[in-house]
Amino acid sequence: MTKIMQHAPVSGAGFGAIIVLFGLLAFAGHGSEFLKQVVLAPGSSAELGIAPDCRADELDEENLTVLECQLLVSNVQMQLASSPHWFRTVQLLLSGVGMVVALGSLPVGFAFVHNRLPMIKSGITCFGLLLALDLIGLIGAASTGPLLRAQYLWPLFLWLNIHLCLLLANWHYVRGDSLEQNN
Amino acid sequence: MVKPSNSHAILQMVLHWTLAAAILFLFVSSWWMLSLPLPSDDYTYRVVPFQLHKNIGITLFLIILVMICLRWVRRLQQNAAARSALQTLADIDQWLIYALVAACCSSGYLSSSYSGWNTEFWWLIQLPAWARENDGLNILFSDLHQWSCWLLLLAIVLHIAAAIYHGLRDDALLPKMFP
Repeated sequence: MTKIMQHAPVSGAGFGAIIVLFGLLAFAGHGSEFLKQVVLAPGSSAELGIAPDCRADELDEENLTVLECQLLVSNVQMQLASSPHWFRTVQLLLSGVGMVVALGSLPVGFAFVHNRLPMIKSGITCFGLLLALDLIGLIGAASTGPLLRAQYLWPLFLWLNIHLCLLLANWHYVRGDSLEQNN
Repeated sequence: MVKPSNSHAILQMVLHWTLAAAILFLFVSSWWMLSLPLPSDDYTYRVVPFQLHKNIGITLFLIILVMICLRWVRRLQQNAAARSALQTLADIDQWLIYALVAACCSSGYLSSSYSGWNTEFWWLIQLPAWARENDGLNILFSDLHQWSCWLLLLAIVLHIAAAIYHGLRDDALLPKMFP
């Protein structure tokens, strides 16, 4: 095992590329959630119970049945009805900050590729923040009803683990580098 | 002072990462926004996300044009040195991504034009309507948009796999595209 580790260490460049990939995916996820919360405002037409206009040409274009067209409205109703009053504000805040921090993780990935230690050290703060956002989101989603829990808990749990791994790997890298310098 | 060739490389990097972030955002958001109620006088949930989707798509098309020009200029500056099979494969993947992004953006824009919806570029410039509403052509370009996007996703996965492969090998290739 030790022999394998000695001959096949994960390179900083490879780790950097993985950080950038997850940074971009986290940005896309947070951006999409932000847009969703902007669009699905309380008091909008779905909540008023207005019947959907399922025109034949639109159904044909989207390849939908009439039932599916009606369920698209039910989907929004479900989202609005199962959101506690604080949920939208919290999600807007978390996804807004999440987008910025996720973009902030890109320079950390770039720094790993070029082995720039000061920026690599800031990765601990960056991944710590992303982990904190995931944790707050997870606690928030766990405090809602079963419909939102079913939608949010698994992806949040997945992201929490990804950011935990990145944080620990980053910390291990910085610690290893410091030990190497001391020796 | 940055040399002209360096400034080209920096611009290429900035455009590359802008493109990467925007494309992933478009994919993730489009998977969600197609679950919004169909548009009507009462249901306008799709207006903002679709307009944003079109704005980003048109911007990406312009970015791709600039990137193709930059690559063409760089190619003219480079000597016609012999290229390895892996480099040729990387070139093919690169050009495939450019072509597929252009195809996704143009088919999406044409589909929208034939659907009868207006396009206001970043809510500032009203783009002219190129065509009258035509359901048949709308569906055709919508299908083309969908299939070209799935192919693009596949090409992007290959591109990411290649980047991680080079990163793990630490063969000094990644620093060229990582600022």
